[in-house]
Amino acid sequence: MDFVLSQFLGFGGAFVALIADPWTYVYMIGSMFLGITFGALPGLTATLAVTILTGFFGNKIPLDYSLIALLGAYVGAIYGGSYPSILLNIPGTAASAATALDGHPLAKAGRGGEALGLTTTASFIGTLIGTFALLIFVGALLLISKNIASPEKALLALFGILLSGALMSEDLVIKGWIAGLIGLAMAMVGLDPLLSEPRFTFGWSYMMSGFQVVPVLMGAFAIPQIIAGMRHVKAGTLLQLSDRILPHFPTIRRYMPAIARSGVIGTGIGALPGVGEDVAGWVSYGVGKTVSKEGDKFGKGSVEGLLSSETANNACIGGALIPLLVLGIPGSPPAAALMGAFMINNVIPGPTLDPAIILRVVAILVLASFTMFLMGLFTARVFIRILRIPQTVFLPVVLILTTIGSFSVGGGINDLYLMLGVGFVAYFMNMLAFPIAPLVIGVILGGMFDEMFRRSLFLSDGDLMVFASRPGAAVLLALNAALIASQLPPVKRAFGRLRKRAA
Amino acid sequence: MDDDKLVMRARDFWASTLLILVSLFFIWRTLDIPLLGGADNAVKKVEWFNSAALVPLGIFTGLLLLSISLLMRSIREGGAARAFNSVGLGWDAAEALRFTTLMLIFIVYIVALVPRVDFINASGLVITALIYGYHAGQRERMLLATATVVVAGVFALVLHFPQSEWNAHGDDWFALVLWIALTALMLWTGRGERMAWVTPMIAIGAPLLLICAMAFAFRQNVPNRSSLIFSQIEYHYYVTLRPLWRD
Repeated sequence: MDFVLSQFLGFGGAFVALIADPWTYVYMIGSMFLGITFGALPGLTATLAVTILTGFFGNKIPLDYSLIALLGAYVGAIYGGSYPSILLNIPGTAASAATALDGHPLAKAGRGGEALGLTTTASFIGTLIGTFALLIFVGALLLISKNIASPEKALLALFGILLSGALMSEDLVIKGWIAGLIGLAMAMVGLDPLLSEPRFTFGWSYMMSGFQVVPVLMGAFAIPQIIAGMRHVKAGTLLQLSDRILPHFPTIRRYMPAIARSGVIGTGIGALPGVGEDVAGWVSYGVGKTVSKEGDKFGKGSVEGLLSSETANNACIGGALIPLLVLGIPGSPPAAALMGAFMINNVIPGPTLDPAIILRVVAILVLASFTMFLMGLFTARVFIRILRIPQTVFLPVVLILTTIGSFSVGGGINDLYLMLGVGFVAYFMNMLAFPIAPLVIGVILGGMFDEMFRRSLFLSDGDLMVFASRPGAAVLLALNAALIASQLPPVKRAFGRLRKRAA
Repeated sequence: MDDDKLVMRARDFWASTLLILVSLFFIWRTLDIPLLGGADNAVKKVEWFNSAALVPLGIFTGLLLLSISLLMRSIREGGAARAFNSVGLGWDAAEALRFTTLMLIFIVYIVALVPRVDFINASGLVITALIYGYHAGQRERMLLATATVVVAGVFALVLHFPQSEWNAHGDDWFALVLWIALTALMLWTGRGERMAWVTPMIAIGAPLLLICAMAFAFRQNVPNRSSLIFSQIEYHYYVTLRPLWRD
């Protein structure tokens, strides 16, 4: 109890310091506007919003302010995806795909304003639930994580890549794992962390320092989006709002149990390494459909269906920051971009992270959720107008943004070549249904995995039992083994037989 | 199995083949890194568990095994049988042309224009070309837009290839002329269309705003500082404007 109280007191101090600084509002409102715009424009994603802002603000302003900008954009973009889902039946981001199933029928029935009001309130409550979990669990987990040594860290990084590969793959799980391994392989370029042995540099001095994170992020997330979006698209029919955008508190009170359930699901899924808001939205929607009394109305304009996905995808933000801040393992693709911002500021998320940064992150998220709520209610019509901008107009500007963003982080033209190369590879991977998120997580965690894996072996004089002799490491090893075994054909067949028997 | 899945398995056939070759190449390259112990002139070499080759070897072996597994699955599910004809691969000529032209524009922009030509100029040209070429979805416009950017890039490469010549202005003027010509064509062919008069505003405004923010607000390095337009902006910022509030 004392711990919880001290966390709340720490949060109170951080929040007061945050709101007392006038620059906070400049960065927060600006980044929130940009985030909602990115979320609202189909073809731009939350990850891209955070990535582009990392290029711009990452190491150019103090970390305190860049965190405001990046987290504001993250919260705004996840929420902003609901606008085109409801009014155009086109999800603005993958995270709001499930929102379209019930949001658009509601808008067609003349309840578009009500749907937007409900998603605004659900996103607000969802963000607060995730943030609350972050405040409570991150402190407790940080205490535990101080006992985590090299073997656990290596196995956790591997688990993050394997889990992300398994859950983010739309086609075959094997493709997600291949993407993760490609990311890991990219992280091997440069001087190795223990012996400074050059690896795969091909005599190019630029490669000695390895692949820079920001150009890789820009290439992986921006270039495929630009290539895919630069085409003539017939404009969708934008439904007009006939009612006002209001929070509808009686409806919220009625569906509070569903909102709370979705918030918990979203936070839990966010806390899984490498699994993002889209999975949270769909899982929460699926659970809601199964357990709700009005499950048969899901997909036909159900308010509960709408609240289930929208609460979960925003609650996922707080959840995704838990593994990032505690272990240095991003919980979602936008969190991976956020980790890039930490890395270019020489701040290493994990057990050694200054607790003051965590409290500031929590304070920023709370302020961001209030800002989002107010902007969602009072400036929604501005964002609805933005939906009319064709993607062939804004994507060329995104190309210029990513170019100057990548250039300015490293200050060299080589970073642009890297961005372009990664971009083309990512485009082909998208075309072949290889997910990009595991690749990026592999690039970010590759260095840590390599260093921790070899350090464990070095300290144990080459004894492989070091990965099984400690309780934490043994559990993680078992989880990794189970995850791999679950995809082996004989195991899959055995599970299939069991399922049939149970049915 | 539906047709989309079959197309995917045919593509998987080629993807896995390429991945196998890439894995084998990198396994071979990894073998150059000292792996096993022993001694060289009485100096103890690295142990296997401490070697810089250990993790890459594991990664590329894993990649090789997964790629073989993907190849086997592709063959088992009929991917190999469809992999040798364009219909089986789901080849779309229009989509291939769209991708090729975009790839050319991006490569020329990053490799030839950004290092050599004024950033506002190069970016304005590329924004105009992309909107003109791809907004209406017309093949001729797409080809003309690509040709304009490629000509500007080739000119810059031929005229000022070495880094010592990147500050010269010949290619800046040439790209500017092409940009004005493409804008004029867009305004002429799109008379009365909103897009025609909005595009020049975006093409000038976006790069101008971004480079000024990066150079003067964030004080960061920007591409090609001494170029035609930006050098003038920088000069007047420091000589004409800044003294107004510094004094």
